[in-house]
This record gives sequence, structure tokens and C-alpha cells, in this order.
Amino acid sequence: MLNSVKSVTPLAIEPYDKEWGVGVSGMVENPSPFPRINEMLRWFKERPTTADPQRMLIFTEAYKKYSADPQPIKVAKALRDVLMNVPVNIWPGELIVGEIAAPAKSAPIYPEFSLNWLAYEIENDPLDQRPNDVYILSDETKKAVFDVVDFWKGKTVEESIKSMFRYEQAKGSQMGQGVYFCDLYTYAGAGHVCADYEKLIKLGFGGIRKEIEKKLSELTVYLPEDIKKRTFYESQLIVLDGVKSYIYRYGDKAEEMAAAEKDETRKKELLRIASNCHNVAEGVPNDIWEAMQLWHIATNMIIIEANGHSVTYGRFDQIFKDIYAKSIAEGTATRELVQELTECMFLKIHQLCKIRDRGNITVSSGTIMGGTGFDVGGVDAEGNDITNDLSYIALDAHAHTRIPNPWMAVRLHKDAPREFKIKVFNVIRIGTGEPKVFGDEMMIKSLMRYGKPIEVARNYVGVGCVEPSIPGKTYGWHDSCYFNMPKVLEITLNGGKCQHCSESCPQYAKCVGAGSQLGAKTPSLAEMKSFDELKEAFQTQMRYWTDRMISSVNTMDIVHQALKPLPYLSLLVDDCIERGVDVTAGGARYNHSGTQCVGLGTVSDSLSTVKQIVFDEKKVTGAELLDILKKNWEGSDYLLAYVNSDKVHHFGNDDDYADDIAQFVLNTYCGCVEHRPNAHGGEFMPGAFSVSINVMCGSHCSATPDGRRDAEPVSDCLGAVHTEVASHDVSGPTAIARSLAKLDQSRIGNGVILNWKFSPTSISGETGRDNLISLMDVYLNNGGMQSQFNIISRETLIDAQTNPDNYRDLVVRVAGYSAYFTELNPELQVDLINRTELSFD
Amino acid sequence: MSDIKGIIFNVQPFTVHDGPGIRTELFMKGCTLKCRWCSNPEGLSPKPEPGLYPDKCIGFSKCGVCEKSCVNGVAYSVYEDKLVAIDRAKCRGCLACAEACPSGGIKVWGKAYTPEEAFALVKKDKKYYDESGGGVTVSGGEALMQADFVAELFRLCRAEGIGTCLESALNVPVSELEKLLPLTDFWITDIKCMDSAIHKQNTGTGNERILENIRFLVSRGAKPVIRIPIIETFNATEENIRATGEFIKNELGGNILQLQLLPYRKLGLEKYSSLNLSYPMGDFKAPEREVWEEKLLRFRDILRGMGLPAEAGSGNAIK
Repeated sequence: MLNSVKSVTPLAIEPYDKEWGVGVSGMVENPSPFPRINEMLRWFKERPTTADPQRMLIFTEAYKKYSADPQPIKVAKALRDVLMNVPVNIWPGELIVGEIAAPAKSAPIYPEFSLNWLAYEIENDPLDQRPNDVYILSDETKKAVFDVVDFWKGKTVEESIKSMFRYEQAKGSQMGQGVYFCDLYTYAGAGHVCADYEKLIKLGFGGIRKEIEKKLSELTVYLPEDIKKRTFYESQLIVLDGVKSYIYRYGDKAEEMAAAEKDETRKKELLRIASNCHNVAEGVPNDIWEAMQLWHIATNMIIIEANGHSVTYGRFDQIFKDIYAKSIAEGTATRELVQELTECMFLKIHQLCKIRDRGNITVSSGTIMGGTGFDVGGVDAEGNDITNDLSYIALDAHAHTRIPNPWMAVRLHKDAPREFKIKVFNVIRIGTGEPKVFGDEMMIKSLMRYGKPIEVARNYVGVGCVEPSIPGKTYGWHDSCYFNMPKVLEITLNGGKCQHCSESCPQYAKCVGAGSQLGAKTPSLAEMKSFDELKEAFQTQMRYWTDRMISSVNTMDIVHQALKPLPYLSLLVDDCIERGVDVTAGGARYNHSGTQCVGLGTVSDSLSTVKQIVFDEKKVTGAELLDILKKNWEGSDYLLAYVNSDKVHHFGNDDDYADDIAQFVLNTYCGCVEHRPNAHGGEFMPGAFSVSINVMCGSHCSATPDGRRDAEPVSDCLGAVHTEVASHDVSGPTAIARSLAKLDQSRIGNGVILNWKFSPTSISGETGRDNLISLMDVYLNNGGMQSQFNIISRETLIDAQTNPDNYRDLVVRVAGYSAYFTELNPELQVDLINRTELSFD
Repeated sequence: MSDIKGIIFNVQPFTVHDGPGIRTELFMKGCTLKCRWCSNPEGLSPKPEPGLYPDKCIGFSKCGVCEKSCVNGVAYSVYEDKLVAIDRAKCRGCLACAEACPSGGIKVWGKAYTPEEAFALVKKDKKYYDESGGGVTVSGGEALMQADFVAELFRLCRAEGIGTCLESALNVPVSELEKLLPLTDFWITDIKCMDSAIHKQNTGTGNERILENIRFLVSRGAKPVIRIPIIETFNATEENIRATGEFIKNELGGNILQLQLLPYRKLGLEKYSSLNLSYPMGDFKAPEREVWEEKLLRFRDILRGMGLPAEAGSGNAIK
């Protein structure tokens, strides 16, 4: 039963049950009670997104100057030079300062990872003319790129990876047939990590320096291992010089601005910023403001070192719990100040930008950094609930800013307080998609399955999208590859070849044309006598292709270790210092490589359709179905409608026929990936989420038996199939939850995403809120690991009214029944749109 | 196994506003009223019948399995190659055409279930009911036209600890109510209009039996949720609201859980058209949102002033 509300004392400046409306989403005028925050939001919105050449230029000079140094020293000196020399800025109203070696909303450039594409796009595909992710590059920046591009030829991570790839690795990758996509870490750093902020706040950078100096003094002069360690420690000390300078220079800047500031209030703030920075450049923070300043700038330096995104901010209400209590007790902070600081921090996180290549932005738009994970709630090492004022402050901060950063996650468990759940779901009901929720039970179970003791597992954090990770202890390469299972199914059905195999394919000469074929040799659907034969062939192809995916990821890993050690990040991840090993080379306590399977629904529904219509009902033969698929369902309207109807077993309806097959597919993938060795001393972990890469995966897949046409997107994350013809989950949210609970989600150690879609009316009112809470309580305590929410917003409904063709499967709860929105009469559509703001059902 | 069967036209899981908590709602086919604003016209007739959705038809000339499957020689009318109407007089409701249709162009309105089969569907969400204080809600149509089936279903639910809620217009012989009285946790009913003549004009029946049944229900200890659909030109007068309030206060002793004022919604038009019926209030011009919203809140306040637990809408938790 619902646990009752225990207290009514305010836990933040807003009451715990404050409502902001349902599905109202987006930007509203002045969402924050703090005028400063509203001003900063406006300022931010008007500022264009740019790229800045400073980091690239300093790095280039450093690589020339220190070319004789061993790689770890070279990269350390380059980073140090950036931190010591790049200009620093403090922007209007800021209470927490620091950038990523580039001004606000400006992306630095990382030539050591990849540069050729940028030079190419500036000339041939201008970044300011993109449909999305537009970057305005100044002439100076463009010139700077051209000036250095030749120097970097042949020296980048990207080129080194490509030169190490053999045909066996390339043929299935994004360079070949799109069975797997590993371009993220080919073009950029790995990121996807959470530093040990609790340690940093306890010791300060000065304390960490002392640790290193001690370790260095204990080394022998002659052991080969110790010589390697010496280089590593030296690289860290070099970086620490840069760290100190960088933070200190922000203090100097604040002091300088304070001297010129006329407004007395702002002058005082700037002086406080100055003393904060000067103190935490090496020292231990005295109060929460200093601690948050250190937290912010320490994270930024991870991003300055390498452009891997999903650098995570950790468990906010755990990291700052003690220093918050101390600051309140000593009178150095008030709840209001911490609320305002938190909102300032959100805006700082929102300033971060990462410039991506055209291919990347076609599938995942948004100029933002991405993956700025930030968690609240959950349990401590002993299993006790940790929620405190800060948990509520963070949730309110989202309601007060309504920006898509940070990527907030809430950890829920059986004993989470009722007030907390009410706050969480009231924020969710705003409809921005934030925060997502994790179920502690399954997450902790999963982490233990992948080698963490229970007290460690309980301190997990969601890195990036949803990847379970231990703060300050895991180097997870969590987003190293996406595996396109529907493509593997296509190759299976066609006996090891693509469905549209022909001489016009650029790969043909090396593949079928050379008397070979793309995948393993298995019979085609036309030759199969039973469904078991199909399952067996699918397993064979899955093993064949995951072998090649794993080989590709390990190759990339080896290149990253050789070319781009990360001495700064190694300061903040255990046990790099203890063991004297860089984080890229396996210095972390827990090492993983995470690879996500995509298209679980598409493959499951395809297999259950084949089982039903070919082997059970014998509506068509295998050969006939292959022919229909080759013709992209052209002329087979009846069958296309049939396989998309509820007359065929579909995943997501609590139908064992289909759900058993989904379990088979997922277990096959997990079995092929879990616990296989990776190149930095750990093991692979399977994930099951697609973000928006299901679109890209679909574009590489021809028609599938589930009633999907050529190049349509494949199913997303753990979700059911939604083809252009019909949605396959037609039995409501509880049936989805029951289907999903049948999967052993703890086996998916790299995390899952489940997208829920609700129309505002189905979750309106107190009743709607409480039922949503109950739905999640049951799901997360019965096998569910994660959930995120799309509350169909007013804007969506308006767009659906104008462009009905794009929204044929948009289901809304009308009153007593649910209906397809586009089939409703215009008056009712308008009414539903209006109802997003009120709860009168 | 019992041999009673119930005809259900819709099973709706995760229903959230008809009774407390998360509920599975079953809509029983057949009704004793004919309200002009009815949004579930597929619940009017007690017999199963096909509902036509021409937008979903993939094209009669290249498919036509509906006509081919019909054993009663029903005429299938096609417009722009889409199935748009059938000869309802000849149709026996066997639904072979709906079975054959691959695309959802023909929906099944009404399917027979044994109580055990319906219970199996309801039981699937037991965990959600337990967590949220929910259960099953049976609605309609008029649920009490199939009281024996509902009673059997509720017995099964009770035995498994699943809460029961009945939504009924109560325009049935009192004997049918009595069958459900000991098995129902929550009752939801309407007082549509206190003036019987106006009630009859708009629903086809006077309100005497309904009011009598509400009195009976309350006298036997049930505490219903009462709803008033507020419809301009029908019952949206202060006089009617006050009369309703007086009835609840004086004749029911105020023994109700909640009094919900629901706004008129032009709903179910696509369902009327699926049955080749026209919407009875097609010409009705609903007032602007601001107008009805103001009125709803004003009526709520009048009723609250009379000491009744009135709410605008059904989204506020029953306390």
C-alpha cells in the first residue's frame, strides 16, 4: 500500500506537493523564483552556439614542443598548457564559475581525437547551415582549423583506429553494412564516467597531490613497473600544476571584476567567488558554496582533457549532505542560497557544448554536451534511504529552470519517503522528460552480478543515459557500441547475406562477389523446416557478429590507451593512484565496455510473426515471405495489415507467445556479450537502449517480417514495435510492465531504457499522480530497472493536429476511453489540447 | 465453470478516474437509457456488432475478405474503395467479417466472456490494485442488465481480495441491485436531472426508478459517488443543482462519498459513425471553455455551501 506522508515540514523552499501542471512542458516566462536565474535563462537563449579554437591551438603547439616526451607526459603537458593559458571568463550573474577552455555555449576542439571531418565540413557542408546543431564559426576559428589540420594528419585517434581495423572488423561497422555502430569513441573521447567527488571534497587537489608525491617517493629506481609508474605519477603532477593555475585564475578574474563593479551586491558576490576559487585551487572547501565550486570546475577539467560526453556529476544529495548540514549549522549558507546555487549550477551545465560531425547529428540532434548525469535519492552503503533537503532542492531546481540539463535521475526504492515520490512525480508531470527513474532493487542486483559487493553497488550512479556505474571507481566505456539486431536478423533470414545483396553494393567485390558472403554460413528462411532451425541460425549469426563488434571495440580501446592517456581523470578515479596505472589502461577498480543492443522489439515481433504465419498457420512459405520482404511488402497489403494487427502475437502485451521470444532474443545477446574480456582489464556488459540510434539502425535494415518497411526506424530501447502501419503494444501500460518484467533485466548490466508515453489526462489530478506513483512502485519492485516519461505536451498535440500523418499512432486518453488522437473530431482535439493545463476529468 | 456469459464491449486497463486507485474497467454491452450525449454508443445495443473504420480499411478491391467471410449475405457498401457501411438489418452480429479483417477496419463491438475469462483479465493487474488501492470497475452500457454475470465476476474478485466498483445508471429493477449489494465496494451513479419530464426527453426515461434505487442503495448502507454531467439546455441550471443537493441532503442524509460535476464533452463521434449512426447532439453548440468552467466551479461551490463533498471533475482523490 501507499506509504503515508511522514512530515509536512518544508524540505526545500517549495512545499513537497507543489504542482506545476501536467504536460505544460517547455519554457515558461520566469520559471524561477530567483530573478537572477530568469535573467540568465534569457541571456543563455539569445547567445549563439560557437566553436572556439584556443584549446586546439595550444594543444597543437604543445605536441610540437614536447614531441620527444613519452605519450603520457606529452598529453599532460598539453593539458597543463591549456589550463595555464586559455582565457577565462565570468558571465553575468554567475555564482559558480568555470568553463571548458572555451566561452559559454562554445565548444572546444580536440584535434588529438579527430580533425579531418571538421576541416571537410567547414569547406563542403557548412556548420552554420545545418538543419539542427547549428554552429557559427568565426573566420578566425575556420582559419585556425586549416592552419593545423595538416599537422594532425596521421596522428589522431580516429585515423589510428581506422588503420588498425581489418576488413573483418570494418565490414559490419558503420563503415560497412551497419551491423554495429562504434563511431562515438572513434571520433572522440570515452567520457561516461563519474569522479570521486566525496574524496575530492575531503582532500582537495592539494591532498591528492600529497598522495601522489608519497607514492612516487616509494618507488624503486630500477623495477620496470616502477619506471612506468613514475611516468604516470609525473604526468599527474604536471597536470596538477595546470589545475591549480586554472582554478586560481578564475579567482583572480573575479577579483579584477569586483574592483570595477559598481553594484555593491554584485561586488560582494564576486569577492566571494574570488575567495572560493583561491581556496579550492588546492585547499579543502569550507562550506557548500566552495564545495559546489570545486565540484563544478573539477568536472569541467575532465571535459577539457577529453571530449567524451556523459561526464556525470554524481549523487548530489549524497556528495553534499554533510557539508550542507555543516554550512546551515554554521550559518554560512541558507536553504534559499543553496537553491539558487543549484539553479546556477544547472545553467552552467547547460552551457557545455560538444561539436559533432554531420553523421552524428543526423541521428542525435542537440548541441548540448549530452549525458550530464545527476542523481538524487536512493540508499547509502548500509541500505538506508538518503533523501534529504538537497534531493528536494535539486528537483525544484529543474522545475525552476526547465532546461534539458543536467540529465537528472531519481533512484527509487521501497522505503523512499512518500513526500519524495510526490515531488518526483509532480516534476515528471510537467512533461519535460526529466527526471528519469531507476529502480534500486534491479540496479543493485545487476551491479552485484557484474562483480560489485553490495555496499559498493548501493552507491551506484547512472552514468550518461542510464548506465549503472560506481562513482570514482568505474571506468566503464559505457557507450562504446550499438548493435543492430534487426540487421543480424535480416542476414539470418537471407542465409548470411543482406536482403538486397547486389553487384551495386560497394562491398560486393570483397563479399559475395569474391565467392564469400557477409555473415556466417547458415540456411536461409526458404530452406528452414522449423522455427527451431531459425532460432539456431539466429544464434550463430549473433555470435559471429558480436565477435566482430567486440573485436572492434577492443581495437579502439587499445588505440585510446596508446595515444590518449588521461592523467587528470586518473586523479579522480580509484585505484589509479594506488596502482600507478592510468585510467585508460585499467587503473580503475571496475573496468567495463558497454555495448547496447538495438531493436529488441523488431526482432522479437519478426520472429514471432515468422513462427506464427510460416510455421504454425502456414499462411505463407518461408520462400514467399522472403520474396515479399525483398519487394518491401509491395502488393502484399493484406499480409502487411495482418502482421501489424493484434491477430499476430506481439511483444509488450503480456502475451507469453511473443514475450518468450523476446526473452530468447535478449538472452542471446546477453550471452554473446556478458563477461567477455575487454582491452583495459575488465569485461563487457550488455546494454539495451538505443537513444535515437534506432533511426540509424533502421536506415541500414531492409523490410522485416514484423510489418516494417525498408529503412523505417527499428523499435527503440526496450520498447514495443511501432511501425508506420500500427503500434504493436495495444494493451495498456500495465501490460507493457508485465511483459518487461519477464525479461531478466539484471543481466543487462550496462543499463536499459524504457520510454513511457502518457497523455496528460491519464495522469491528471491527485488520483492520476498517485496512480502513476503506484504503477512505478510495482514495476520497479517487480523486475523493472528504469523508466522515463514522455508526457505528451500541448505543443505535440497542436503539431499532431496540423500534421496528422506524423502522429497516426498517437494514443490519448480521452475520458472513459483511449483513442487515436488524429481520429478525433477537431473540437475534441482542441479540448484535449486545452486540457493539458487543467485537470478536470 | 458457470454457464453465464457477459457481453463486454471494452476492457480498459489502467483506468484511473472511475473509482480509487489503478483499475481495470469492463464495459458491459446494452443500456436501458438513451442519453443524447452518450459517448459510448457501441454500448447501447445488447448484441455484439461490427464497428467500421474506413480510414483503416486497406481497400475493398484488393482485399474484400469481409464480404467473402459473411454467411448471411449482408450487403457491404464501399465508398472510394473503403468499406463504409453494412446492412445492419441483415447482420446477425456473428462478426466473422471482423475476424477476417486484417487491418482493424472492422472492430468488434461486444464479445462474450464467461466470468472466469473476464476474471483472468482482471487478475493480471492485481499487484497494481494492491499497491494503489484499486481493483475492478464494471461499467457500461448498463452493467446491471447483466447483473448475474457481474455478480459472479465480483464473487471471484472478492475471493482474491480484488476491490470492486460498479458504475450504473440504476435504471433497472431493484432486484438486480440487490444481487450486487453485498459484492460491491464502491458504487458510482448519476443524478442527471431532478425534473422527470426533462429527464425523459433527454434519456428516454423518467427519473423515478433511478431516484428510488439511489434511496434504496443508501438505505442499505452503500455510500455512492454521485455524478452530474453538466449539460447546457438540459440540466445546467442553479435550480436543478440546488434540487439535486436537497435530494442528497434530505433523502440520502448526505451519505455519499463524493459528488462529481463533469463537463459536457463531445465524445464518441467516431464510434457513432462506426455504427452508421448519427450523433444525437450534432447541432449542439457547447459553450466556451471559460463559460462552462466558471459554471462548474460555481455549482460546485453552491453544493459545497450545502455541506456536500462536491468536486469539479473526477481527478480529486476520494477522501
